[in-house]
Order: sequence, then C-alpha cells, then structure tokens
Amino acid sequence: MILVIGGAASGKHAYVQGLGYTEAQMWDASSIADGRVEPLWGADPAEGFPVLLNLHALVFADPEGAPQFYEALLAKEVITCDEVGAGVIPATRTERDAREATGRLCNRLAAAAESVVRMSAGIPVVIKGK
Amino acid sequence: MKILLTGGSANGKSTYAEQLATSFAPPLYYLATMRPYGEESAARIERHKGMRAEKGFETVECDTGIGSFKPKKAATVLLECLCNLTANEMFDDEGKADEAAEGRILEGIGALEARCANLIVVTNDVGGGVNEQYNEGTRLYVETLGRLNAALAARFDVVCELVCGIPLVLKGKGLL
Repeated sequence: MILVIGGAASGKHAYVQGLGYTEAQMWDASSIADGRVEPLWGADPAEGFPVLLNLHALVFADPEGAPQFYEALLAKEVITCDEVGAGVIPATRTERDAREATGRLCNRLAAAAESVVRMSAGIPVVIKGK
Repeated sequence: MKILLTGGSANGKSTYAEQLATSFAPPLYYLATMRPYGEESAARIERHKGMRAEKGFETVECDTGIGSFKPKKAATVLLECLCNLTANEMFDDEGKADEAAEGRILEGIGALEARCANLIVVTNDVGGGVNEQYNEGTRLYVETLGRLNAALAARFDVVCELVCGIPLVLKGKGLL
C-alpha cells in the first residue's frame, strides 16, 4: 500500500492519477461529507476500489469506527489523506478527537505501508520506501 | 546532544522522543508541562504516563519556570512540550497574554541546556493555516511559539519533523 499525505489541494489526487489509476478505481471519502455517497460500513468502507481518497473524511465521519477498518485499509493499493494535525488545536472536542484519530490511524498505516509520499506544492516527497 | 522534535498533532512525536531519550544513559527525566484541565487532558496525561511506564523515566511536573529544575549530573531530559509551556508562561487565568514570556522560556531552556547532558524538546508546528482567523492572544501565541521553535532549532544539534510517525531529519542527519 502507498500512503499519500499532504495538505488540502497539495496535489495528492493528481499524483494518484499519475500512478495510472482511473477515476473509476477511486472511492472518495470526502463524498460522505457532501452527502453524495454513503460509506459501505461493512468490513471495507470502499469495497471493490483499489484506491481510497481522503481518508481523513472517513475518520471525521466516524472517529471511533473508522480506525476499525485498519486491516481493510492495508489491503488498498493507494490511500490519500490530508495532514490535519497542523495549526492551532481546534476549539471543539469533536474536531480534536477526529484530528487525533486521523493522525494515529495514519501513523499505523505508515508503519505498514510499502511507501509513504508527502505532497508539497504538487511535488511528491518520498518519506518512506522508494 | 540537544534535539528538537516538531510536527503536527498525533504524528508520533512522543513515541519517538521516548525512543531517543531511552537510547541515552540514565538518569532520564521527563519534564511534564501539561496542566490537567478537565477529563480530556487528564486522560491524555494518563496515556502518556502509561507510555513511559517501565522505561525508567522520573516524571517531574513543571508547568512553568523550567529553568529552576536541577537534574542530576549527566542526565537526559525530555521536555514535553514547548507548546504547553509557552501557553502556561504566556497566559494568566483570564487569558491575558504576557509578552515577556518568550524571553523567560528561552532563558529557562538555556539553563536546562547547561545542566544536562542531553535535552530533547518536543514542540508543535502551529503556524500552518490562516493565522488571521484567531483572536489577538492566539495570534501572539502562534507567533511566539514559531519564534521559539526557530531559536531552538538554530542552536540545537538535531531537528526532526515527525510525519505519520516517520522522523524527517531537518538538521544534524549524521548525529542520530
């Protein structure tokens, strides 16, 4: 699994396209917040899709439940996630919990990932693997 | 050796800091700066205490005035974290900011540096995002912590940013 992280609009999606994946192979968790899709709250939130975009949106939708998808997430080929831990600590408990849960899940995924790529202004910086 | 660890929240800074500290010879001190405000921070303190259990750290609660702490000779001190210490030194109970805090903190850390063999300081990268969205006190805090981070990074031997639990060495690559 390749974990692609970075700030909002830092070029993660374009990077995944550059790896050769089509839109039909990507399940976008940010569509949960938009109300466009319901997550598949089974064993795998994105069953049938090799790519999961915007993991943070899945965690923000359910900070306690999302980490339970760890095994299913490991089986994905590519996961992208916003780096949400920067900036001042949020004022609300819900946001703080979701931010912590996102960071902790990413730490576990990064430890198991073959490769971790951090996008910075559209430039992929490989911080683990090759 | 003086080491500064930075990065966003929940990026594995504490875990890595303890791993580095325990690689040095004892005595090991853990300077805890967090004030328990309510159940959430109490839970966080307990979690961090649990992580340190059996690792040989002596925990010293020190929410302000860290310059007065006198460790035993040749000690390794882990200060966690500069962000809490800065808030504690800066704001009174009414939330009024004291601009002299920055100088006091730098002095205190300087005193610690002179007294221990190894100092590891955990901080946080809070300068991302739109700073203008915050009130004056918070803006001042973000700027103060940013300047403190830069001042320590300039004189410390090693600076790492933690990203997803991965240490990215920004300074002093050959020393770790």
